Amino acid sequence: MAGGVVEKPAAHDKPRKHYLNHVKTFGSWLVTLDHKRIAMMYLCAVSFALLLGGVFALALRTVLWNGTPADPETSILGATMEQFYNKMFTLHGAVMVFLFIIPGIPAALGNFILPMQLGAKDLALPRINLLSWYLYVMGLVLFVCVLVLGGLDTGWTLYPPYSMGGGSQSQHVWHSLVLAYMAVFILGFSSILTGLNFIVTMHKLRPPGMGMYDMPLFLWALYATSLIQVLATPVVGITLGLSLIEHMFHVGIFLPQYGGDPVMYQHFFWFYSHPAVYIMILPAMGVQSEIMGTFSRKHIFGYKAIAWSSIAIAAIGFIVWGHHMFVSGQSPTAGIIFSFLTYLVAIPSAIKVFNWVATMYKGSIDLKTPMIYGLNFIYLFGIGGLTGLFLASISNNVHLHDTYFVIAHFHMVMVGSTVNAFLGGVHLWWPKMTGRMYNETLGRIGAILVFVGFNLAFMPQFVSGTRGMPRRYANYLEEFTTFHQASTVGAYILGAGIGLQVLYLLYSLFKGKKAPDNPWGAASLEWQSESPPDFHNFTKPPIMMGAYDYENWEYESEEAGWKLKPEVIETRKTLSKVH
Amino acid sequence: MTEAAHAHHDHHHEGLPGTIGHVTPLKTLFKVLTALLVLTVITVAVAQFDFGRLNVVGAVGIACVKASIVSLWFMHLRYDKRFNFFILVGSFALVAWMIGYILFDTVLYQHNIQEYKRDQQAPAKP
Amino acid sequence: MSTGVADHETKHDLPARPPELAMHFDNMHQQFHSGKLGMWLFLGQELLFFCGLFTAYAVYRGNHQEMFHYVHYFLDWKLGAVNTVVLLVSSLTAAWSVRAAMLEQRKVLIFTLLATFICAGIFMVVKYFEYTHKLHIGAVWGGGFNVADADLPAELVAKYPDMTGAKLKEMGAGSFFAIYFCMTGLHGLHVLVGMGLYIWLLVRALKGDFNRRWYGAVDNVALYWHIVDIIWIFLFPMLYLIG
Ligand code: HEM
Ligand SMILES: [Cu+2]
Repeated sequence: MAGGVVEKPAAHDKPRKHYLNHVKTFGSWLVTLDHKRIAMMYLCAVSFALLLGGVFALALRTVLWNGTPADPETSILGATMEQFYNKMFTLHGAVMVFLFIIPGIPAALGNFILPMQLGAKDLALPRINLLSWYLYVMGLVLFVCVLVLGGLDTGWTLYPPYSMGGGSQSQHVWHSLVLAYMAVFILGFSSILTGLNFIVTMHKLRPPGMGMYDMPLFLWALYATSLIQVLATPVVGITLGLSLIEHMFHVGIFLPQYGGDPVMYQHFFWFYSHPAVYIMILPAMGVQSEIMGTFSRKHIFGYKAIAWSSIAIAAIGFIVWGHHMFVSGQSPTAGIIFSFLTYLVAIPSAIKVFNWVATMYKGSIDLKTPMIYGLNFIYLFGIGGLTGLFLASISNNVHLHDTYFVIAHFHMVMVGSTVNAFLGGVHLWWPKMTGRMYNETLGRIGAILVFVGFNLAFMPQFVSGTRGMPRRYANYLEEFTTFHQASTVGAYILGAGIGLQVLYLLYSLFKGKKAPDNPWGAASLEWQSESPPDFHNFTKPPIMMGAYDYENWEYESEEAGWKLKPEVIETRKTLSKVH
Repeated sequence: MTEAAHAHHDHHHEGLPGTIGHVTPLKTLFKVLTALLVLTVITVAVAQFDFGRLNVVGAVGIACVKASIVSLWFMHLRYDKRFNFFILVGSFALVAWMIGYILFDTVLYQHNIQEYKRDQQAPAKP
Repeated sequence: MSTGVADHETKHDLPARPPELAMHFDNMHQQFHSGKLGMWLFLGQELLFFCGLFTAYAVYRGNHQEMFHYVHYFLDWKLGAVNTVVLLVSSLTAAWSVRAAMLEQRKVLIFTLLATFICAGIFMVVKYFEYTHKLHIGAVWGGGFNVADADLPAELVAKYPDMTGAKLKEMGAGSFFAIYFCMTGLHGLHVLVGMGLYIWLLVRALKGDFNRRWYGAVDNVALYWHIVDIIWIFLFPMLYLIG
């Protein structure tokens, strides 16, 4: 042991007390106010949602293997092939959007990491945090009820009049729609409370001596996300509340046959749901910034540009919603304005990408599992963002709207970017959260499988989309067969990649090597805690330093981890002494 | 202005030592209520006359003034952290943007709906 | 249990950690302002929640000018004005209760909390009579709007003698009442929640829970109550007054 700097207490005698084992009863988890435990429960739940949504995805891709069922009488679970397909894509979309991707990074990873990156003991409002978790659970349970009651075939957007039984072929049952409205309404409030809590925490628990510009970029990203969560989500709440009333009492707000206006529903819905796509991508961009810095071993390039572009994306997110309505009956004037405004989003998005690339330039790149996800992200987000611009041009959109091109676009950004960043983040923080290392080789194989499978699944869809393959159809013309079959194979490879991760991550919990406190040499404050952290997060006050000052750390092969250099410990102030 | 500054001066004698925040003098509270009641009377009075479209503008305008008074004094934003003020103003701005833009669009596409309705009612053409 | 906590304490020269101070805060100021910021964000959220209804109102009004003019006679502006006054007074008592909590005037606090609760109750009673009347004459939402000519408001008939219930229905009066019931209903729901919160505060005040550095609950509920008031300040002229 060098220098006798940070002598760990004799680790062998008694297991160290940390947040996972300081109390062990099941009940202590149910009423816990500890952000780390709530985060872990969220992590389990959103992973469950990811797997559930993934099963639906594989089911619908399987249906699409053939353009028309060989035997038109084929039935699955008492429904025709087409009905089954319609339910699958609806449930896939709804579960992935509302249960996985929106809460995913903020509520699971952010909840755990945010207070620690501030050097704080908890979120500012722990009880609100617990409430938010239970609202999420209620939403999850309601969704499962929707499933059991026969599912929905409305698409995740729940557009009236079709959704409310206005369409002649609507096969959904009345009450599963009621439950779906309630579920999304409740999940919305869960999301609002998380965002609210994060903003308060970043304002009030940021320690003296840490300015906004000293925060890691993950926190800037979460801040921007939280602003959207608080300000946009209530609109979907009221929209679905009104839809529920409309559906039950036919009051005449959205249904045309009673004097309502269905286009207004789309305005309302996208006023939330466009900003919501930034709820999905912004935290992912935050994770990406952390990964790029850490595994290039180089101070992040363009800190302020990345920080403010998060805020810019959040702000612009509120003025572009009409690009989803170019062919929905929106007036051409409004459409042209929205088309123009939509282009603006590209600017801050591109600023981020350039800065990540510049961060890697002349860095010493370490291709650990999270970094592979980071590289996937840059490549796939580039394509996803640029195809967004194709769609933003109104004349193009008339042709591409509701084709596979749109499907490919948003999967590039939602799966290619957000899911990649989620997985990257899980791998980055797994040692911190669980105290165990996963198998690095399997990790890399998983990341590469995800990349290959994903590209195979969605690249062909750009082509079939431009050739006119419409979305949400169970049948297709023969000329599209190759594209669809390639997608299906890709989806299974992607599924295999994720399945592999589930296996080795679970395995690591029991048999994994003990994680060092800082396995990557990352510099933000959470890495100064122990792995897994103490109940109070830090057993000794962390040393204040820049979140990207990697030069303060040196590798120690004995521990297989990184230690603060002794001179840093001697010369720098700790968090409690900076006043 | 001097009035307000005076009020601000006053309270310092009123709060107990160690109080968090600003104690609003009772006099201020009652003045605010009076102002709100007067504005309510004005709203009702104005609405008795027909100024066409201006009626809406007037009613919403007065309501905005009343809302500002409530938030500045009753909700003591005047003495509160600046950021809380921004939240309120920001939310109102967003509300105005949403109402404004959706109204703008729905008015523009209204003729489509009317045409559709007319077509539906017209006897089927041969 | 943890050296971290002790370490944090020493840096402030507060005498000791007050019992109300949660583990993760440094001092009462930080705790108070965290709660308050959270409340303000919640209020911002409330405004956008109501925003959908206001937008629906604006859209339907913009496209049914005439109908809105006829139908607004169904609402009795006098009742609306009474309710406005009641809510304004309750806003005063709410603000007063914060003051009382800060000054540790326990009796005044209890009195003002109770007064706020009672005003809210009066508001709901008036609403109840308004609602039942409308339901009774069939002035309701959507296709359900069916008002007999004899039940048309006197003022409306005086001005437009040949107006009939059927004509109003044809013009889309159902849309107006859809919006009317949604807006006032959601607002009323907020009033009910507010009443619940004031009961909760009353119980705590009776137990002597609040002091000059620990009155965040009174303050935050009052903030909530003021927003409910502000929303009514807009609803009253928009629904009852301008035709
Ligand atoms: C880089 C800037 C982006 C631009 C310019 C852009 C533009 C667009 C446009 C114009 C559409 C409408 C296509 C149509 O339906 O005709 C669209 C759809 C979509 N975008 Fe993007 N987008 C961008 C980034 C993102 C991001 C980051 C996400 C999510 C993480 C996202 C998620 C979606 C989704 C989910 C849809 C389809 C929704 C549906 O109809 O089901 N987009 N995008
Ligand atoms: Cu969009």
